[in-house]
Amino acid sequence: MVRYLRMFRAFAATEFQFEMEYRGNFYLSIFEMFLVIGTSIGAVLIMFGHTTTMNGWTLPEMIVLLGVYYLIQGGVNLVFSPSFERLMEHVRVGTLDFHLLKPVNVQFLVSTRHLRVVRAADLLLGLVVVIVGLLQVGAQIGVAQSLLFALSLFFGVMLVYSLLLGLVTLSFWFVRVENLLAIFWAFTEAGRFPVDVYPLWLRVSLSTIVPIGIAVTAPANAIAGRMDAVGVALLGAGTVLAVGIASALWRRGLRSYTGASA
Amino acid sequence: MYALTPMDAPVVDVRALRKVYRVTERETGLAATFRSFVRRRYREVLAVDGITFHIDPGEVVGFLGPNGAGKTTTLKMLSGLLHPTSGEATVLGHVPWRREGDFLRGMTLLMGNRSQLVWDIPAADSFLVLKEIYAVPAAQYKRTLDELTELLDLGPLLHKLVRGLSLGERMKVEFAAGLLHSPGVAFLDEPTLGLDISMQGRIRRFVAEYNQRSGATILLTSHYMDDVVALCRRVIVIHHGVLLYDGALADLAERMAPYKRISVTLRGSVGDLSTFGEVVSSNENLATIHVPRAQAAERTARLVRELGDQLADISVEDPPIEEVIDKVFASERPLAETTA
Ligand SMILES: Nc1ncnc2c1ncn2[C@@H]1O[C@H](COP(=O)(O)OP(=O)(O)O)[C@@H](O)[C@H]1O
Ligand SMILES: [Mg+2]
Repeated sequence: MVRYLRMFRAFAATEFQFEMEYRGNFYLSIFEMFLVIGTSIGAVLIMFGHTTTMNGWTLPEMIVLLGVYYLIQGGVNLVFSPSFERLMEHVRVGTLDFHLLKPVNVQFLVSTRHLRVVRAADLLLGLVVVIVGLLQVGAQIGVAQSLLFALSLFFGVMLVYSLLLGLVTLSFWFVRVENLLAIFWAFTEAGRFPVDVYPLWLRVSLSTIVPIGIAVTAPANAIAGRMDAVGVALLGAGTVLAVGIASALWRRGLRSYTGASA
Repeated sequence: MYALTPMDAPVVDVRALRKVYRVTERETGLAATFRSFVRRRYREVLAVDGITFHIDPGEVVGFLGPNGAGKTTTLKMLSGLLHPTSGEATVLGHVPWRREGDFLRGMTLLMGNRSQLVWDIPAADSFLVLKEIYAVPAAQYKRTLDELTELLDLGPLLHKLVRGLSLGERMKVEFAAGLLHSPGVAFLDEPTLGLDISMQGRIRRFVAEYNQRSGATILLTSHYMDDVVALCRRVIVIHHGVLLYDGALADLAERMAPYKRISVTLRGSVGDLSTFGEVVSSNENLATIHVPRAQAAERTARLVRELGDQLADISVEDPPIEEVIDKVFASERPLAETTA
C-alpha cells in the first residue's frame, strides 16, 4: 500500500513538473473552469427564476449538487481520463508491453500513471461551490453527515471510474473506442442536474448505463441529510460490484492482448 | 555439456517453445465489426515452431534470423508478454508468463522500435518513476544511474525533453531506463535499429562493457551482422520459426555454408575458370570461385597446378558471415542439414 502511494506520488510529481513547463495553459484552464462553473450556476439561477423547487430540490441544494458534479468530474479528469487516454494510445502502438513488464499491478499503473494536474483546480472550485450551497441551505452539518458525504463522493468517483475502465478495455478488441467515450462524456454532462428532473428514459439510463446520475445525486443527498448510512452502504456495495466487474473485464482484455487463450 | 550445479544452471531454458498467433479477421463497418465480435473468424500464423536452447549466466548470445523469423515473438514469450501455444521456458528459474514479481524485477526487455519513456518530459523524471515502480533503494539507484550516465555519456541528455533527443540519444536513454533496476537478464530486440554507424558502435561497446561489469546475461537480436560479430561468441539462428543453428559464431560458416571461397589473382586477364567451380565474380585479373567445402583442398591444388606461372596469389576462406546468413535466409524452406 505504502509502495503504491509512493508510486502515485512519483507520478504526480513528474506530471506536475510537466504542467509547470506550460504554465500559460495552466492559468487558461483555471479561467476556463471559472467560466464553465459560472455559466452552469447562471443556468440554475434562471431555472429557479420561476419556481422555488424542482422535483423537491431547492435552489441551494441544486448548487450543492452542481458542486458535487464538478468534484466528481474533477476527480475523474484529474487522474483517470488522462491515464486512460494514454492507455488507448499504448494499446494502439504496442507500448502497453512496457507496462506489462513492470512488477506492479498493471490496472493500477494504467489507471493512475498520468495526471492532469490543472484539474485539481476543478476539485477546489467544486468544493467552493458545495460550501456556498451548503451555507445557503443553512442546515447544521454534523460529523456523521460529512463522513457519509465523503464516502459517497469516493464511491461516486469509483463508479464513474469502473464505467470508464470498462469502456477503455474495449480498445483491446476494437481499435477505436473514442466514439464510445464521446457518448459517455455527453451523458456525463447531463449529470449536473439531479436525475429526477429528467424524463423517465433518460433517468433510467443516467442511473444504470451511465451511473453518473447516482454518482452525483447520492453525495448531494448525503450532505443535505436526505441519505442515511444504509443508503451509502448500498451505494458502496454497488460500487464494489461495478469495480469488480470492470476489473474482470480488464483482465479478460489483457489476456486476449497477450494471447493467453491461444 | 552443461554442468548443472545451481550456480551454473541456465539462466534461460527453453524447451520446444511454440507460438501460433490467432489473427482475427477484422472487418470494416459497424455492423460487420459487431458480427465479428459475436462470431470471430481466425487465421493462424505459425511464428515459432518448437525451439529449444539454453543460455548460461553471463553469456551474450546473438539471435539471428530474417524479418518474420520469430525472434521478437520468442523474446516476448521469454519476457512474459506472450503465452506460448505449447512448450516450456524458464528464465531465472521462473516461468515468464506467470509474471511473478521476482522475475519481472530481474529482467528487462528493450525494443529498438518502441519507447518506454514519456516523450513530453525529461528522461530524468521518467527515471524517478521507474525507481518507485521497481522500488530501487535510493543509494543503489544513485549508484546505478551514475554508472549508466558514465558508460553512456548521458549527462547532457537527462534533463532535455525526450522528444527533443536524436534517435541515437534516445536509444541511449532507453537503455538506461531499462537497466535502472539492475536486471540479471536483458533481452535486446534490435537495439541498434536505424542508428548511424558510429552510434551503433557506441551502443555495442556499451553492451559489451555492461555485460562485463554486471555479469548480466544478454540475448540480442539484430539485423546488423556487425553487432553480432562484435558482441556474441555464440549465435542462435532461426528461420520460419525453426532453429537452424546454435553454436559458436566462428563455426557458423563451416556448418551453414556448404562451400568455400577461393580467391585468385592472376598476372594476366582471367580466362574461363568454370571447370574449377562456380565463378561468382571475375574482373580483369581477379576472380572468386565457390567450391564444395569437401573439395576445397583438391580444387585449390588443381588451380595452382594448372594456372602455374599465371597465378600471382590464391586464398581459401569461409564465405563472410553476412553472405552465409543471406544464403540461408534466402532459401524458402529451412535447410535441414547443409554440412556435406
Ligand atoms: N501480433 C501478431 N499477430 C499475428 N501475427 C504476428 C504477430 N506478431 C508477429 N506475427 C507474425 O509472426 C511471425 C514472426 O514475427 P516476429 O516474431 O515479429 O519475427 P521477427 O522479430 O523475427 O522479425 C511473422 O510472420 C509475423 O507476421
Ligand atoms: Mg522483430
